[in-house]
Formats: sequence, C-alpha cells, structure tokens
Amino acid sequence: MEYSSAVERHFAAPKKARELPGGSAGLVAGEAEDRTLHVWVRFQLQVVDGVVAAAGFQAYGCPHTVAAASAVAEWLEGRPLAEARKLDVKAVCAELEVPVEKLGKLLRIEDAVAACCQ
Amino acid sequence: MSNREIYLDYAATAPLDPRVAAAMRECMEHEFGNPSSLHAAGRRARALVEAARASVAARVGAASDRIVFTSGATESNNLALQGVLRRSRNRRVHLVTSRIEHKSVLDVARALHASGVAVTYVPATAGGWVEPERVVEAIDDDTQLVSIMHVNNETGVIQDVGAIGEACRARGVLFHVDAAQSVGKLPLALAQAPIDLCSLTAHKLCGPKGVGALYLAPRVTLAPQIHGGEQEHGLRAGTVATHQVVGMGTAYELADPAREAPHLAALRDRLWQELAVIEGARANGDPQRRAAHVLNVTFPGVDGESLRFAMPDVCVSAGSACAADSPEASHVLTGMGLSDVLAGSSLRLSVGRFTTEDDVVTAAARVAAAVARLRWLARSAPAWCSA
Repeated sequence: MEYSSAVERHFAAPKKARELPGGSAGLVAGEAEDRTLHVWVRFQLQVVDGVVAAAGFQAYGCPHTVAAASAVAEWLEGRPLAEARKLDVKAVCAELEVPVEKLGKLLRIEDAVAACCQ
Repeated sequence: MSNREIYLDYAATAPLDPRVAAAMRECMEHEFGNPSSLHAAGRRARALVEAARASVAARVGAASDRIVFTSGATESNNLALQGVLRRSRNRRVHLVTSRIEHKSVLDVARALHASGVAVTYVPATAGGWVEPERVVEAIDDDTQLVSIMHVNNETGVIQDVGAIGEACRARGVLFHVDAAQSVGKLPLALAQAPIDLCSLTAHKLCGPKGVGALYLAPRVTLAPQIHGGEQEHGLRAGTVATHQVVGMGTAYELADPAREAPHLAALRDRLWQELAVIEGARANGDPQRRAAHVLNVTFPGVDGESLRFAMPDVCVSAGSACAADSPEASHVLTGMGLSDVLAGSSLRLSVGRFTTEDDVVTAAARVAAAVARLRWLARSAPAWCSA
C-alpha cells in the first residue's frame, strides 16, 4: 500500500483530532460507520452564525481514513454549514491521492458530516 | 527514544548473514561455470552445488540425493502438490490440507480444484492447531496427498507432523510438509520421519532469497512442473544458480536450532512480557505449541494497518492485509475463530539471529505508544471496533 506525503502528514499530526468543549450552543455532532469495511468516523462542529467556527474528529480505520477525516475537519472550518453539506469526499481523496479502492470507506466521512448538518 | 529501525519480521525474511554473503561473493567472483558442464570450470561449480546439497541434507537429516533445489519454498510447494496430483489421469484425485496453510499451498489447491482435484480443508482449533484426528478423518480412498505445514507462518504454532505422517503412512497416502518456518528453528530428521515431501527455503534463516529445495523420500515420484533440461534429477529444469545454492548451503550450516532456539525463545518471551501490559493485548496461538521466533498479538480497538503505519521504524507484519476496499482478514486468525475486526487488529512480530533484547524492549515501547495514540483517536468508537 502506497501513501502520499499528504496522508503521512495528516496521519502523523492531525490538527483537528480533538474534543470540542461540550454544552455550548451551536455544537453539533455526527458519526457514521461501516462494520464490513472496518471504518467509523465522528465529527463535532461548533457552528456560529451558520458558519463552522471549529471542527474536531475521531476516527477508527486505516491511515487513509484518519488522514481524510483530518483533511475534511480542516476544510470545514470557516465554511458556511450550507457549503459543508456539499462536501465531496472524492475531491479530498484526489488531493490525498487515496487509492480508488478505499473510496467506499471514505464515503462514510461524507455521511458523518451530513449527520452533523441535519 | 531514538528512531533507529528495528527489524522484527524474520518470519517474512531475514537479513543475509555476512558469512553467507562472503561465500556467495567468492562463488560469483571465481566460480562462474555452469554446473552441468563437463569441463573443469563446470566441474568446480558442480562440486560447490553438491557440497551445498550435502549441507542442506545434513541440516534436515536426509541423504543428499533426496534434495532438489528450487527457487524457494513457494516453488517447492507448487512442485510437491502439482507434481504428485497431476501424475494421475482419468480417476478421482483427492488432496487434504488445512485452512491455515500458506497461500503457496492454498492457491495451488484452488488451482488444482479448478482442474478437477477434490480438496478437503481441515479446520484449525482456536489455538491454531490442526488436530491430527481431523486430518485422518478427511482421508478417503482417493486421497493421494496430505499437505500440512510444520510451523504456521502467522502464529508460530507447531503442527504434529509426526502423528499426521504416521497416519498417512498407514493408509498409503503421501505426506507433504511445508517447513519454510521451521527449518533452522526446530530439529528435522526427515530420513526417519514419516514425511514424503518437505519444502525448504533459504532466506528465512539468513540465507539468500530466490533459492529453496524440496526433499523427496525415496519412493516418491513427481511430474516435473518446469521443462527444458535434466537438471535436479530431471525434476526442475534450468541452470542451477550456483551462488544462490552455495548461499543456501552456508546458511544451513550456520542455522543450528539447538544453539539458536533458546535465544529466540528468550527474546520472544521478553517481547510478550513488554506487550502484555498493553490493555486488552492477547497473544494468538497455543503457547504450549509455538515455535521460538514468532509472536502474534491482537490489540483490540486498533486498526492493524494504521498501527503499522504509525510506527514505520518498527518492521513487523499484519495478521491481516488491508489492501482493498473490503479488508482481507487473515485466513489463519479467522480460521482460529477471531472476528474479521480482531484479525485486522493483529500484528505478527518475529525475532531472529541478529535481534537484541534492546530491540524488543524498544519496539514494544513504540507499539504501546502507537496503540495508545490510535485508541485516543477513536476513543468514542463503538464496541464492534474492539470485538
């Protein structure tokens, strides 16, 4: 299995792998999983005036899953929630040079973000 | 903690012993003759090949003329299974093997099945042991070959090839043993053992890659799988790779189980002592039946691919491969009853001649740190991630 330098960077130091303080107004969370693919992801978004002010994530899965969740959490910050809903994880996969066979796992990231935006 | 690379993957391959490299270099620089040639250079090369054959034979307790050099244990397994089972035409042919064999047996069995050979796959116990009684039960009137590995490559569990072989002898069935993981680690006395064919390799005991051998008991005949010459008793055509064979012979001279196994067992036990303190860590395979050099450990709640990726300076293998969209769990671990998830949360660590106590202690500390980090990354994960 080959890993791009972007995957290595996100996996080694995922900046948004954190827990946002609970109890605050505008904090939303969503998760998604696929047991057959051995993947689970969870996002927390702090939404202020319809904009994602902060994002945090957790992930269980392969390095591509962790790296893509990290990249998506970074991408989400500063974006209007309406834009976050339109997350296209395929674009993230392309940026991270994720092998196409891993796409099924990474689509769960889209599902988790969508769950946050409901 | 330094970032020096620590190699704990001897079950995959081992570094070349400098003494083996020196013997190979001497051969390559000075003895280029074709060992099949009748002139002086050829005869010198032939003498080197036969000396190497004698070394290999001595290590496994066999007569020299029973050793056929191949390109490695995979080719030896192919030659053994196909060579026996493709001899027969126009009758039902049956192979008995186990569900936890190496791919170089299982894939050949699948190919043989596709061409009409009946195959029975005997299951393993939760401890990774293939019960001899189950093998015997699987033998029928059409069984021509039983193939069971000596030491499992993922768990290190030692199979009772003596009992299985005796049962095969009693029924007139040929018995093949893949000894790629046991040769040099356990004593072998093939001439006295109820074993008809035995696959051997060089690179797992600090010899070169690309060379191996197949032991054949006196009464065994095979259909050659490579044609184009009469080398190796007509069973394996092609110019013998003299320097590779010389390397294998030297490696077999050096690999003494009586001297090395206690050292390896002490290292493996120290490694487990360090890893066992990680919450939930469990060693796979019956501890009473394990070879000295392999330790397979499950770390629940951690994806195995991520664990290996998190510590690139610790060279270990997965209990499973996650190379595709649908993770391919280890057939050995799932065959022992582990779930796909737990099989995918497992590492195989294997020690060898050049492993030190500092290596295993440092590696265990890096594993512990990586497990802790990955568990924190998935701290709210559902229970199935750990079950």
